[in-house]
Amino acid sequence: MSVLQANDLKKVYQLGSSKVEALAGVDFLVEKGEFVAIMGPSGSGKSTLLHLIGGLDQPSDGEVYLAGFRLSQMNDKKVTLLRRRNIGFVFQFFNLLPTLSAEENITLPVLIDGKNPKTFQQRLDTLLNLTGLSDRRNHKPEQLSGGEQQRVALARALITDPAILLADEPTGNLDSKTGTAIMELLRRSCDELTQTIVVVTHDPRAAAYADRVVFLRDGRVDGEIRFAPDTPLADKLTQIIGRMSTLEE
Amino acid sequence: MKLLGLLSLRSLLVRPTRVLLSTFGIVLGVAAIIAIGVTNQVALESVTRLFENTSGRANLIITSRQSGDKGFQENVVSRVEKLPQIVAALPSLQVQTVLAKESQSNEIGLSFFGTNLGGLLLYGIDPGRDSLVRDYSITTGRFLSPDSQADEVVLVKSFADENDLKVNSYIEFVASGEIVKLRIVGLMEKEGVGQLNNGAFGVLPLGTAQKLFDRQEEIDQIDLILPPEISSDQLEMERQSLQNFLGDAYSVIYPASQGRRMTQMLSNYQIGLNFLSAMALFVGAFLIYNAFSMTVVERTREFGMLRTLGMTRSQVVSQVLVEAVLMGVVGSILGLGLGLLMARGLSRLMSILLAQELTQMNTPQPLLAVGLTIGVLVAIIAAVIPALRAGKVSPLEALRVRARNQEGWLIRYGWIAGVVLLSGAGLGLVFNPFPDDPQFRFGSMMVFALFLGGALVIPVTVSIWERVARPLMGVLFGRVGQLGSRNIRRSRLRTTLTVAALMIGVAMVVIVWVMTDSFKGDLDEWLKGYIGGDLYVTSVVPIRTNVIRRIEAVAGVEAVAPVRYFEVEWRLPDKDWERVNFMALDPAAYTRVTNFVFNQSNPDSLNNLAQGGHVFISSVISEKYSLAPGDQVLIKTRQGETPFTVAAVIVDFSNQGLVINGSWRDMEHYFRLDGANTLLVKVSNGFSPDEVGDEIERRYGDSERLVIISNETLLGRISKLMQQAFSMFDVLALIALLVGFTGITNTLTMNVMERTQEIGMLRAVGMTRGQVVRMVLSEAALMGLIGGLMGLVFGVLLSRLFLSAMTFMSGYRLSYVLPLQNILAALLIAFLTSQMAALLPTLRASRTRILEAIQYE
Repeated sequence: MSVLQANDLKKVYQLGSSKVEALAGVDFLVEKGEFVAIMGPSGSGKSTLLHLIGGLDQPSDGEVYLAGFRLSQMNDKKVTLLRRRNIGFVFQFFNLLPTLSAEENITLPVLIDGKNPKTFQQRLDTLLNLTGLSDRRNHKPEQLSGGEQQRVALARALITDPAILLADEPTGNLDSKTGTAIMELLRRSCDELTQTIVVVTHDPRAAAYADRVVFLRDGRVDGEIRFAPDTPLADKLTQIIGRMSTLEE
Repeated sequence: MKLLGLLSLRSLLVRPTRVLLSTFGIVLGVAAIIAIGVTNQVALESVTRLFENTSGRANLIITSRQSGDKGFQENVVSRVEKLPQIVAALPSLQVQTVLAKESQSNEIGLSFFGTNLGGLLLYGIDPGRDSLVRDYSITTGRFLSPDSQADEVVLVKSFADENDLKVNSYIEFVASGEIVKLRIVGLMEKEGVGQLNNGAFGVLPLGTAQKLFDRQEEIDQIDLILPPEISSDQLEMERQSLQNFLGDAYSVIYPASQGRRMTQMLSNYQIGLNFLSAMALFVGAFLIYNAFSMTVVERTREFGMLRTLGMTRSQVVSQVLVEAVLMGVVGSILGLGLGLLMARGLSRLMSILLAQELTQMNTPQPLLAVGLTIGVLVAIIAAVIPALRAGKVSPLEALRVRARNQEGWLIRYGWIAGVVLLSGAGLGLVFNPFPDDPQFRFGSMMVFALFLGGALVIPVTVSIWERVARPLMGVLFGRVGQLGSRNIRRSRLRTTLTVAALMIGVAMVVIVWVMTDSFKGDLDEWLKGYIGGDLYVTSVVPIRTNVIRRIEAVAGVEAVAPVRYFEVEWRLPDKDWERVNFMALDPAAYTRVTNFVFNQSNPDSLNNLAQGGHVFISSVISEKYSLAPGDQVLIKTRQGETPFTVAAVIVDFSNQGLVINGSWRDMEHYFRLDGANTLLVKVSNGFSPDEVGDEIERRYGDSERLVIISNETLLGRISKLMQQAFSMFDVLALIALLVGFTGITNTLTMNVMERTQEIGMLRAVGMTRGQVVRMVLSEAALMGLIGGLMGLVFGVLLSRLFLSAMTFMSGYRLSYVLPLQNILAALLIAFLTSQMAALLPTLRASRTRILEAIQYE
């Protein structure tokens, strides 16, 4: 069963008098419980694709279906509610509210939805355990390391049990060791919580944690690699690097 | 709600300095409104209560419409008492006198609005029955005995203490030119009727008063008590039927309306104060707007993130508005506290101006509620546009490394609205300077619109200002000055709001200066004529002609001009009877001592006045009623309604300009009055006014109860009083300037914080701390310069309009006074304000640590 389906997605930006085609007709499908990485050289349109499937921006043409909803038929408010309840976001720069504690940051989407965070206590505890933040729950972002902040952001994205988790360069602002830990966490979320995940990254090591890597070039899908469940990480990495070097040629 | 509380409150707590600085605008604005409101209310209440207390429980009052110092026949009391609806009618005779021993040192009672008559005020009353209408709290001794001829008096305790008068001792005072004695039988509290004449008050039996002051069978007032169950409609009907019963020679009025004229005088002054306090809050609104605009830009990524998490636009807008409400509530509460404190100071000042102790200040709850509501509303209104902008933040902003500093439509297109507002308000003010709007409401709205328009056009002019002023900044602050100068173009909204706040502050200072100086300029000119000669001699008992002749004979006296002031009732075509001050003088003697300041006259004016049947009117009356020489007015005299011809228009500001001058001969003929209450004395060359004054005092001071003061001293005292009256306006202008000051500090702090990385980089490539300081100071200086120049232009334009509005509203026609040094001072104030406000941000900038700054995300 597909959670996300994008049909012939196009996005054209007007820059002064010239037009820039960021996406030139992308078809994209993500099944429930799948972990997909989107890769491509700079300017290939991977971030634009993430924005469109996350309802953060509107396509110039084409359709996005997410959790059974057709985004183009929804107004701003409905898309907002869809994001609130069905999509979790993880950003490169964590984007935590400095005034809130780790726990408060995690339950923020619940509060935004007007629900009582206490009813999410069990989910919160599960996520704090998963992310290893149980003893840091009352700390403010400034008291947390970069990796811890990103784990808080991940838990925040998962608190509402979203249909899909979208991550934009989640390891981009972390050192390699911390980045690895975050990707392992995403992997566990997928395996243990059957969380559907789409990650945009330029880092092959991060992409190697996915079940499938979709490659973009010049705004179009340029093939994909689907890994067998037991493929070793090193093999995945070799394949991805090989493919990327072809793309960048 | 929890979400809003969590996010809004913490967002405020995380920026304490900015929140404090921004809230300061609301605090000061609300404080100004409360302080002025409370002071006004206390003053009005005191004045009204004073007059109400005079008549205590009386429902209605009968006074005479006859002009002059004379009252009316006592038998009116019995006529009125026979009427079925009258429960009681209490007569009183009201006389002004002076203590025999104190008369020499008794100073001339000066007050801005004139409640204090000076000397001692005595009421002759019916001792047996007066307690029906007035309460006397006796502290020592007893009240008057029922004998209406007893030689006894009850005084106010504070007055007795000041003059060392004890119960059972005798008080000596002047009555009909003689020194008379009465036994003090009791002392009363300075409350209720005891507050009259600021406590210099006493009561004595009516018969005794009539005998001593040679006013047999005469009274000045009857206080009427009607049945307690009477409704206000019935009371009004009774008032009208009584008025018809008594006829035109009497006035039947409500007790409180006695104070109406004075409250009317106060109201013009208060309108000005209210306007300026509202202006201070208006500037405060700029500050809040500025703070929220900065916050929204600074938190763009945060809002973007919240939007990606599913926060709706309206939730984001609400969050910002809740912050505004919180700031508004806290600012208003602090403002209420500060306002009540300020009100204490201002009430003391007002008490000096009124020459009347003000009643204890009660906390007026409705006013506090109004202050709180206005403060919160202003905060919300100021935050609406930034809140809407926050709501429009795209969720995509969360993904950007650095928030984009987008220029809002206000910056891009605001100037169009600005030009429309400027032209609309400008035309409104020029073509309709509110002649039919005594409350000044339309005018005030136009002024607000004008300032708003001015603020809206600033963004499009910032670049021009900057380019023009850059060389100057270079001269003042060196090369880095030019760099700092360019910085103000970077966040034009911030610059605009700061400059606008300063502009309004400076404009208010200029307006207050111009009004004060113009008023003072004309007042000085008039005073020199009005208090002409070298010595000013007054007495509470009329100075008879033979005394005047003897004073003329004193060595060193060149000429003496006797003057007598009294109230008359007059009527203009199609108007009601009105009370006005009549100043009787002998034109020949007067012109030997001083000169009239003519506004409209002809060569025969003085002769006409001397011949009789003519009056000079003040320019205020001329403007107010469109009267010119040759017009006729009706004045009630002892011979009935008598026509007088206007012979000239003169400048005269006494009694708020409601004054007419007539001849000595007419006073004697039509009003049957005798003797002067003021003498203007001119001293011959070679004599010192002080010596001549001493000589007059030595010879006649005691016997004639004269108070002699040199004109120089008197002018000094009047000038001090004026200074005090205008100091209220100064305080408010200062508040507006202070808000502007806070605005600059706020803006520069933000600029510095935002550019921490940049400043770090500049320091890394070799900029010294001193250079950083000069760079930030130059930024502030440029804002000060723009704000100062624009404030000056608005101040000059608006003060011109205010002066013409004043002519329409009250008849004062003042000449415009704005000396060059004031223009320079206004610019200097703007410059210094900007530099002082920049001190903290400058310090912060200079302390930027290079390594931290360049690692700053």
